[in-house]
Amino acid sequence: MSKQRVTRRQFLNYTLTGVGGFMAAGMLMPMVRFAVDPVLQHNAAGDFVVTDKKISDLTNEPVRVDFTFDQKDAWYTSEVTNTAWVYKDENGEVIALSPICKHLGCTVDWNKDKANPEHFYCPCHGGLYTKDGTNVPGTPPAAPLDVYPYKEVDGYLALGKAEPRKEA
Amino acid sequence: MKWVANDIDMYLGAKEYVDTVVLPLFPISFGDDIKQTTSMTEFISLLSIQLERQFKGRILMLPGYTYLKNNSDDVLVDDIKRWEAEFQNQKFNHVFYLTSDSDWRSREESFDGTLIWLPSLPLESMDEKYRNSILEDQVQQLIHLFVKKWQNND
Ligand code: FES
Repeated sequence: MSKQRVTRRQFLNYTLTGVGGFMAAGMLMPMVRFAVDPVLQHNAAGDFVVTDKKISDLTNEPVRVDFTFDQKDAWYTSEVTNTAWVYKDENGEVIALSPICKHLGCTVDWNKDKANPEHFYCPCHGGLYTKDGTNVPGTPPAAPLDVYPYKEVDGYLALGKAEPRKEA
Repeated sequence: MKWVANDIDMYLGAKEYVDTVVLPLFPISFGDDIKQTTSMTEFISLLSIQLERQFKGRILMLPGYTYLKNNSDDVLVDDIKRWEAEFQNQKFNHVFYLTSDSDWRSREESFDGTLIWLPSLPLESMDEKYRNSILEDQVQQLIHLFVKKWQNND
């Protein structure tokens, strides 16, 4: 679904690099922006959304963190709520996983299915993922859960746009 | 999946995984109950958006069946039966109707699909935070219902 957006972003990147230099970019940007403003806004400079979760409150147990932001879809702005499953791994590193199943996009839940404790479980076709988001072979998903990049803002967790994990 | 081009492409490529169809029922009236029918319709459409997000890969969420609330039972039931016949042709194992209009409860036995009736809530008078948490509650209940239904038939 986001295919088109990525292509647009790439297009923009090429354009900017091609023109080269701040001057040209500075002149071009307002013009491009004016032309494609709504499309562009959504991807504007790695926007991180600050959640109401304190990083110091995170434990080893994944918790559900909801965060809301305004999404511009063409000329319409709508409020979108996203969810992340967040915990700290053995090294104290924060892991924030997207709940969107990589099979066909249902929402996975942590530790909900009694037959599969300590896993992310997809109720649609039984997709399974281990705690770090790796898909369990033999279940429908063919890739691990996407990962949100995160930042710390005044002790609170801020999340970016979920990205596919590089290694399989 | 929603009734939009991108999702329908996905549906066509993964039909065997989409065994459930959901048809929201939206009443419309211009009479004394104009406000009630509005909030019923609004409430159910908000819920269906959330529900679709939860179960994107397994349900096909139709745009909804809009009808005049003062239509006779016969007319409405006939219409739903026609929908149902089509759903059967399309081999959906699970058919759900989602509505706030309590009139459907007495019509339920005339058709096969599962009717989910939820009383509509006065969302417009709630502040946003509260509204979201109420909706979230309702969605959780729906999720539970769906999963249960699936488990019983699998
Ligand atoms: S959508 Fe999750 S297993 Fe199919």
